[in-house]
Amino acid sequence: MAQARDLALIDRHDVELAALAAAGGRREFGELVRRHGTPVRALLRRMGAQPALADDIAQDAFIQAFQRCGEFRGDGTFAAWIKRIAARLYIKRCVKEARYVDEVTDDEAVHQPHPGDIMDLDEALKTLSEPERLCVSLCHGAGMAHPEIASALNLPLGTVKSHVKRGLDKLRARLQPEPAQNQSAQTLGRAQNVG
Amino acid sequence: MSADEFDPFVERLFSRTPPMADAALFTAGVEARLQKGSRFRSLAIVLAGVVGGVVAVRETVNVNVNLGEASEGVVAGQALGQGMQSASIGIQTAVDSALSGLGLNQLELGSVGGMQIFWLAAASVIAVATISVVRLSQEV
Repeated sequence: MAQARDLALIDRHDVELAALAAAGGRREFGELVRRHGTPVRALLRRMGAQPALADDIAQDAFIQAFQRCGEFRGDGTFAAWIKRIAARLYIKRCVKEARYVDEVTDDEAVHQPHPGDIMDLDEALKTLSEPERLCVSLCHGAGMAHPEIASALNLPLGTVKSHVKRGLDKLRARLQPEPAQNQSAQTLGRAQNVG
Repeated sequence: MSADEFDPFVERLFSRTPPMADAALFTAGVEARLQKGSRFRSLAIVLAGVVGGVVAVRETVNVNVNLGEASEGVVAGQALGQGMQSASIGIQTAVDSALSGLGLNQLELGSVGGMQIFWLAAASVIAVATISVVRLSQEV
């Protein structure tokens, strides 16, 4: 019986589940947590939070979302809504603990890859400074606009834009294979085929 | 890849998340916290209801005493007392007639006094109100 009800929940749309959760449906909200828990946790880790802290903040974000579920009208996706809540909670924590600094600092602590390495996003984000990583994740991961980020971080808009640009430039260098490298790989492949 | 192409590319990468082995544990953690919060809320409401009920009963007793002592309120107090007594007698009579209709008139309800019925009714009303508020709070 319970399994049948769970199957019924799986078929429901996020907006429907959120409406039921707003009326006090904890099981329906549980389904939303199952669907969006991992992306929210991953976003917080990408923003620079340690795994344990990321999980704590993600939990807080879901609890807050449950209490405010009535505010979710379905204008955007539930995923975007919950990610913004989580991102704002993380920013609050950073500002409170004075972890975030305006200046690009501690470059030595940043993971330095070998030139030409092709990495996945998580690895590539580690090569960014903390402000760059935070701004890029907020912009492209949480879907926040530059002015919104500037307001949340108490930073000038220009500073946020330059953090995002510098961060993207670094990501582009890490995530895109070099043309020369591509050519040499193709040449090697052809040589192997001939051989 | 140009900057215009790279932005959506990065967004697509952000939207892809690797599976996490402890995803079920995380969900269970959130559900446990929701459950815990609900229990605390219920407990707080029940406690508030009990405290409120006790205070209400105490105040009612004090009002009776004051009415008896105050010369200005004697008439009003007596009228209130008589009203309550006649109401309880009316209820008792109605219950008796209903019970006799059902063949249960041998039940010794007559031994319960008017004021006792009043307190029983008051306690029942408080209990019902508390239960209703608890259920309502769980639904909201």
